[in-house]
Amino acid sequence: MTPQEEVENLIARVAMGDRAAFNRLYDRTSAKLFGVCLRVLNDRVEAEEVLQDVFVTVWNKADSYKVNGYSPMTWLITITRNRAVDRRRAMKLPPVPIETADLMPDSKPGPEASAVAASEARQIKACLDELPRARAHLVRRAYLEGDSYADLAQATGVNLNTIRTWLRRSLMALRECLSR
Amino acid sequence: MSDQTLPPDGPEEDEDRVLAAEYALGLLTDEERARFEERLDTDAALRAEVVAWDEHFAAVILDDVAEVPPSPQLAKRLQTILFKPEKQSFWQQIWPYGLGGLAAALVLWLSISTGILVPEDSRLKPDLVAELAPTPDGEGLVIRATVDTTLAAVEVVRAAGTPPDGRVFELWLIAGDAAPVSLGLLEDGSSTLIDLPQDLLAVLPGALLAISDEPPGGSPTGAPTGAVRAAGPLTSS
Repeated sequence: MTPQEEVENLIARVAMGDRAAFNRLYDRTSAKLFGVCLRVLNDRVEAEEVLQDVFVTVWNKADSYKVNGYSPMTWLITITRNRAVDRRRAMKLPPVPIETADLMPDSKPGPEASAVAASEARQIKACLDELPRARAHLVRRAYLEGDSYADLAQATGVNLNTIRTWLRRSLMALRECLSR
Repeated sequence: MSDQTLPPDGPEEDEDRVLAAEYALGLLTDEERARFEERLDTDAALRAEVVAWDEHFAAVILDDVAEVPPSPQLAKRLQTILFKPEKQSFWQQIWPYGLGGLAAALVLWLSISTGILVPEDSRLKPDLVAELAPTPDGEGLVIRATVDTTLAAVEVVRAAGTPPDGRVFELWLIAGDAAPVSLGLLEDGSSTLIDLPQDLLAVLPGALLAISDEPPGGSPTGAPTGAVRAAGPLTSS
């Protein structure tokens, strides 16, 4: 059984109310999902509250997993990231500043290049590398740390409409690259 | 790819793709999001676009975000939140004791009539008695209630067991299908004497007595709110 099938299997059994399967799913995924919460919230107490909420949802909603078309880890990560981002916005955490120097458009591949996994499934990282480094950084801030347009505008000192235009263009370019 | 190679406003399809990405990232305003979700309900292609973005973003997260184990307390908290059987209704908790109580009464009657167990000296001349058998939440509790219907009083003797820290024991009467009626709180000592309302005397034989744990001062709602710790039926002594 691949790790993906294993997690899928566990979710299916959790949907049937299997407590042992829930505990195994927790052991198997909680460290990764906690990492996601921490990345967004940067606070262990808040991150644990969100993670608790996530696993309560998983226990109660595991039966809805099959119908939404996600792979198992994506389902878990998406629930977790979205809850953490909701919490971050509710707390109105100030964004971590971004050096304006980092935003100067340049055509060099970004730091992502070195981090590209040797694996096949990391097409999106290859595509991020095709973006100007500063733009790739904004995209990563939006999905890894949950920055909103307003956060990014505040973090960079760049006006919100400009940020939005930059990010939307980057997403369009990413999408084009991903469909190649 | 430079910005100049992209038209400032792409065709509708591109626009939807970017909207789907913004939705997946949580970048839309509340109003934009509501409009987008309305379309999601009916547009399978748009839903697939959102799923595709989520898959891509999750792939990066899976790769780039370090694993950090949460504290062991979280696993324990989840066990309590999800699996503690306190969600059982009051009735689900007490029904086995209604049945088992008959057997207990028989044993008690045998013990008393054979002289194994002599009723403690009491201020009451009891004509009804209940042995309150501990529930799984009430392990270690030994509680016995005796009723003197002439004096309209019940004496509850707690021979063993105490309420959890910061909680008190409350005594309930359940007659037939009626809702539990609070008879009062147990005192800290081993014995508590409680007056019974006259209108309850007629329904006492066969009724169930139950003990729940409640916040100091008793149940704030008038109905049991904590776990049922012990219960048993009133039978003739």
